[in-house]
Amino acid sequence: MPSLEFSKLFVVTGLALGGVYALSGVGIVVLYRATGVLNLAFGAIGALGAFISWELVNNTGVPDWIAYLACVAVATAVTFTYGVIFGPLLAARDPLVKAIGTLGLALILLGTMSWKWGQIAGLSLPLPTTTRSYTLPNGFGVVNWTQIIGISFGIAVTAGTAVFLRATKLGTAMRALADDREITATLGVPVRRVEAVAWLGSGLMCGISGLLLSNLLGLDIVTLTFFVISALAAALIARLRSLWITLAAAMVIGLVTALLTPFSGDFQTLSDFRTMTPFVLAIVALLWLGRHRTVTVTRTAR
Amino acid sequence: MRSHKRSAALALATCSIVGVLLDALASGAASAPAPVGTGKASKTKSVCGLGNGKRATGRPIVLGGIFTKSPGIDFSPIGLMADAYFKCVNANGGINGRPIRYIIETEQDQPDRVAALPVKLADRDKVVAIVGNTSNTDCIVNQRFYERRGFRVIGAGVAAPCFTTPNFAMVNMGPHYSNTGAAQALVRAGAKSIVDYASNVPGANPYYGSGAITVGKRAGLPTSDNYVDVPIQDANSLVLKMVQQAGNGGGIDIALIPPEGLKVLTAAGAAGVIDRVKWSGATPFNSQFIADALGPEWNNKFLVNAEFNLLDSKGPDNQLYLQLQKAYQANCPACLGSFGQMGFLVGKIVTYTLLAMPVNRITQKSVNAAFLRIKNFKSDLWCKPWYYGNLPSHNANRWDRTVTFVNKKIVQVEGCFEIAAVDAPIVRAKADEKRLKLTSGTSWPPVPGQ
Amino acid sequence: MPGSWAASIRRGTLVRATVIAALLLVVLLAVPAVTSVYWLKVSTSVAIYSLAALGAGLLYGRVGMVSLCQIALLGVGGWVMLRLGYATSLPFPILLIAAGVITGCIGTLIGLPALRLSGLYLALITLMAAAAITLVFSKHDFPNGGPGFWGAEGIGGTNVQRRPSIAESDTAYFRYTVIAATILFLLALLHVSSKPGRAWAAIRESEPAALAAGVNVTVYKLWAFALASFMTGVAGGLLAGSVGVLANSGFPTSDSLTLLAVTLMGGIYSLWGAVIAGILFKLLPALLQDWGLSSDIATILFGVGVLQVLVTAPAGLAAQVPKDLANLGRLIGRLFRRDVRGQPT
Repeated sequence: MPSLEFSKLFVVTGLALGGVYALSGVGIVVLYRATGVLNLAFGAIGALGAFISWELVNNTGVPDWIAYLACVAVATAVTFTYGVIFGPLLAARDPLVKAIGTLGLALILLGTMSWKWGQIAGLSLPLPTTTRSYTLPNGFGVVNWTQIIGISFGIAVTAGTAVFLRATKLGTAMRALADDREITATLGVPVRRVEAVAWLGSGLMCGISGLLLSNLLGLDIVTLTFFVISALAAALIARLRSLWITLAAAMVIGLVTALLTPFSGDFQTLSDFRTMTPFVLAIVALLWLGRHRTVTVTRTAR
Repeated sequence: MRSHKRSAALALATCSIVGVLLDALASGAASAPAPVGTGKASKTKSVCGLGNGKRATGRPIVLGGIFTKSPGIDFSPIGLMADAYFKCVNANGGINGRPIRYIIETEQDQPDRVAALPVKLADRDKVVAIVGNTSNTDCIVNQRFYERRGFRVIGAGVAAPCFTTPNFAMVNMGPHYSNTGAAQALVRAGAKSIVDYASNVPGANPYYGSGAITVGKRAGLPTSDNYVDVPIQDANSLVLKMVQQAGNGGGIDIALIPPEGLKVLTAAGAAGVIDRVKWSGATPFNSQFIADALGPEWNNKFLVNAEFNLLDSKGPDNQLYLQLQKAYQANCPACLGSFGQMGFLVGKIVTYTLLAMPVNRITQKSVNAAFLRIKNFKSDLWCKPWYYGNLPSHNANRWDRTVTFVNKKIVQVEGCFEIAAVDAPIVRAKADEKRLKLTSGTSWPPVPGQ
Repeated sequence: MPGSWAASIRRGTLVRATVIAALLLVVLLAVPAVTSVYWLKVSTSVAIYSLAALGAGLLYGRVGMVSLCQIALLGVGGWVMLRLGYATSLPFPILLIAAGVITGCIGTLIGLPALRLSGLYLALITLMAAAAITLVFSKHDFPNGGPGFWGAEGIGGTNVQRRPSIAESDTAYFRYTVIAATILFLLALLHVSSKPGRAWAAIRESEPAALAAGVNVTVYKLWAFALASFMTGVAGGLLAGSVGVLANSGFPTSDSLTLLAVTLMGGIYSLWGAVIAGILFKLLPALLQDWGLSSDIATILFGVGVLQVLVTAPAGLAAQVPKDLANLGRLIGRLFRRDVRGQPT
C-alpha cells in the first residue's frame, strides 16, 4: 500500500486528470441539455482545431495567439455548420439517431485528419501555460498552468451554463427546445435561432477544450477523437442531465484513476487496470440508477 | 424536400471525395532529387550502387516491405529511407541497368491485414525479396509464411521472433537488446536499481524489458518491469510512480517510442524529479526530434542506447545517408534519426547483394539464397560488420554506443560495447561468429571502395 | 384469390431461394478461381465481418437496440477459439460452436443490465463495456499456446490456430467460412421469419403495446442479444482460424463505431445489408490501398454515408440500390412506351 505522503502527489494529478474529463464531459452535457444532441464528435472537432493550430504555428509565419484563436474559430465553425444543417434535419428523430449523426461527423473528421496529418508522428502544440509550473504547498507536488486552466475552465463552464440555462430567457428556451422541438416552436420561440446559439456556444467549448486537451493529453488524432468515450462515463453518471454531477463525476474518475497508480506489488493489478475506472464507474452508476425497471417509450418515428 | 436532402448529401460526398483525390494527387508529386551518391567510391566516400550517374531503364526488380503505421507507432520512415536509397541507386545505373521498384505496405496491427500483406507482395506483385520490414506483429504472424515460401527477410525487428527464428535477420537489435544496453549504461553510471517501463503492445510483455531486468539482477540491483498502455494519458501520475519505484539514485529505463517517451520526460521536467534518478532509453530516442524537444535541464541526464553511429558522424555511409534524407525525404522529420539509418542500411545491403548476382538470374529463389551468403558486411553506421548466414537465429547487431543530449545536440558518452549475453540467441551469435568467421575475412557482397 | 396469392408467394420464395443458391455457388467456385490468394484472404475477412454486421444489424433493425460492443465480442470469440484450440483437441466446428456459445453468454450478460435502459443509454453502456473488454485484452495477450488461464506466452510464441482438416488451404478455408456464414445467415432468417421475429417487430414498434399483447419482452430482448453475440463469437472463431494469431490491436473500440456506420449504410432492415457492410468494412479499404489511395477516404465515406442514411435513406444501400435500379428501369420503360394516341405514357 502506498504511503499517505506519496499518495498526496496523486491527488493533484488526479484533479488535473479530472479536469480533463470534466472539459469533455461538461461540453457534451451542455449541448445535450440545449439541443438534445449527444455530440460524439466533440473530441474530433477539438482535435481538428488543434491540428489546424499546429499547422499554422509550424508551417506559416502566423503569430501563436492567432493560431490558437484559429483553433477556436474552426471548431466553432464546424460545430455551427453541422448544427445548422443537420440539427433541423434530424430534429424529429430520437436522441440515439441524433447521436449517430454526430458519429458520422466524427468519422469524416477522423478520416480527414488522418489523411492530412496521420503521416507525421510525435506532433505537439505546446501552449505557453504548459511550461510554467507552480509548486503547491504541503507536499502536494507540482502543477502546470494549463492544468489549472483546464480545471478552472471546466468549473467556470459548469457554473456559467447552469446559471444561464436556469435564469435567462434564452436558456429556458434552450431547455424547452431540447425537451420537445415541435411544441416549443408552436409557442413562438424562434427555434432555429435558439438552436444556432446553442451550437455556437458548444463549438466555442469544443475549440477551447481541444486546445487545452492537446496539451493535457497530447496532440494525437485517435487519442483526442476517442477520448469522448472515457469522458462519456462522467456524462452517463450524471444521466446526461446535471452539469454539476458531471463535473463531480469527472473529478471522482480522475482522482480514483490517479490514486490507483502508485499501487504495486500484490496490488499491481489495481494499478494496471486503473484506466478502466471511467467505464466501471459508469456501468455501476447506470445499473444502480436504473434499478427500478423502466419501460421505454419512443415518442417519434424512427 | 427529399430530393433536396439527397442532393445536398450527394454534393457533400462528391465535394469531399474530389477534394481528397485532388490533394492526394497533388501531394503525390515528389520533389526532384538532387544528384547524390554519384562518383568513385573510396574509404571516405560512399556512393549509391554503381555510382555512375546513369538512369536505370531496364526491367524493374520488384521488392516489398511491410511497416506498422498506426496512431502512436509509425515505422514507415524506415521504408521511406530504404526507398530513398533505391531511388538513388536507380539514378546511378540501377542494378546493372535494372531499376528497383520498392513497394511499401503499411498496416495498423490488424492481424488479418498483416497476414494478407506478404501474400499480396509474393503473389500479386511478384517481389523477389521482402526487405525493410518493421512491424509489431509481422514476425509473429507471418513467420510460417516466410518459411514455407523461402523468404529471407532483412529488416528492422521489434518482436521476439524477429531475433529468434531463422528467416529474419535484422539491421538493428530490437527493443529487447537495446534496453539491455541501456540498462548496462545505467549500471555503469551507478544506478541503484533498474526499473523498466515499456509500451504495452502485442508481444511486448515480457520481451521488451526482460534483458534490462536480467542486467539489473546480475548486478545485484532491485528490478521492476512495467508495461503501460499507449498513448499515455496520465504522464504526470506515471512519472511520479516511476520515480518512487526506482527510489533515489535509482535507474529508469524508458522503452517507449519517442512521442510517448517525450510525454514522460516532459512530465518529469514539470514535476521537478529529473535529478532524483538516472534516466536511460532505447535506440528510438536517438533522434534529432528528441534532441530538439529537450531543454537544458536534461543536459547529460538522459543516456540513450544507440545501435547506430551518431547523426553527425563524418563516416562515408553516414554522410551519404544525410544527403539522401535531404534529397529524397526532406519532408520526413522522423527520417532523420536511427529509423532513417536503419532504412539506409537495408537499402545498402540489398543493393550490393543484387549487384553481386548475374543480372538476368535475379529470381526470388536466387536472391533469398544470396542473402544467406552475406558476411563481414561493413558500414560506419554499425560498430561491427553485419552478416546473415544459415543460422537458427540472427543477431548480427550486438554492439552499441551510448549517447546523450547536450544543448540540443547528440553527444557520444560511451563507445562501442558488447550487449550483455543475457540470453541464448546472443550467446549463440557470439559462438557462431567465431566458428563461421562471419565478421572477418573476405566480405560478401563486395562493396566498391572498401 | 387466396389460392393463387399463396401460390405466388411460394413461387416468389422459390425464385429468391434459387437466385441465392446460384449466387452462393458462384461465390464458392468463381471467387477463388479468378482472384489471387491476397484477395481471397480479403474475401474471407469480408465474410467474417459480415457476420459481425449481421449481429449488429439484427439488434438494431429488428429490435431497435444499438450495441456498440460487437467488435469487442468478435475479439472474445477469437480469444475463446484460440484458448480452446490450444488446450483441447476438439474438432474445429465444435470449437466454433463453443466460441459462439461462450460469447453468446457474455453478450447476454452485457445485455442483462442493459435491458433496463433505453436507446441511447443502451448504446453508451455497450460502448463502455467494449472499452473495458478491450482493456482486458491489452493487459493479457491473446492465447498462443502458453500456460495458465490466459494461455499467452510472452517470448517468441510461434504457434498458430489450427484450421479444420478439410480446409487447410486458403481456398478451402474461404469456402468453409462462406458456408459457415451462410448457415448463420439462414439461422438469422429462420428467427426473423418465425415467432421471435414477430415478437421483435412488436417490441420495436412499441414496447408497452408488446407487453400488453403478452409478449415476454425481457426474454425476447435477451434472445436477440444472445443470437447476435453467438454469431459474432463464431465470426471471431473463424477469424482466429483465418489469421492464426490474434492481437488486441485488431479489435479497437473505434472499430465498433465504424461497424455501426457500415451496418447502417448497408441497411439494417435486410440481411443483405450485412453482406454490404462486410464489403464496405474490409474490401473497400483494401481496394483503395491497392489503387494507391489512402484508406482514410473510406473513413470519410463512412461518415458521409451515415449522415446520408440517417437523413434520406433509412433502409440503407440494400434497399436503396434495388429501388434506384427499379426506378431507372421504369424511367427507361417510360421513354420507350407510347399509349394508343402516340403520347408518352
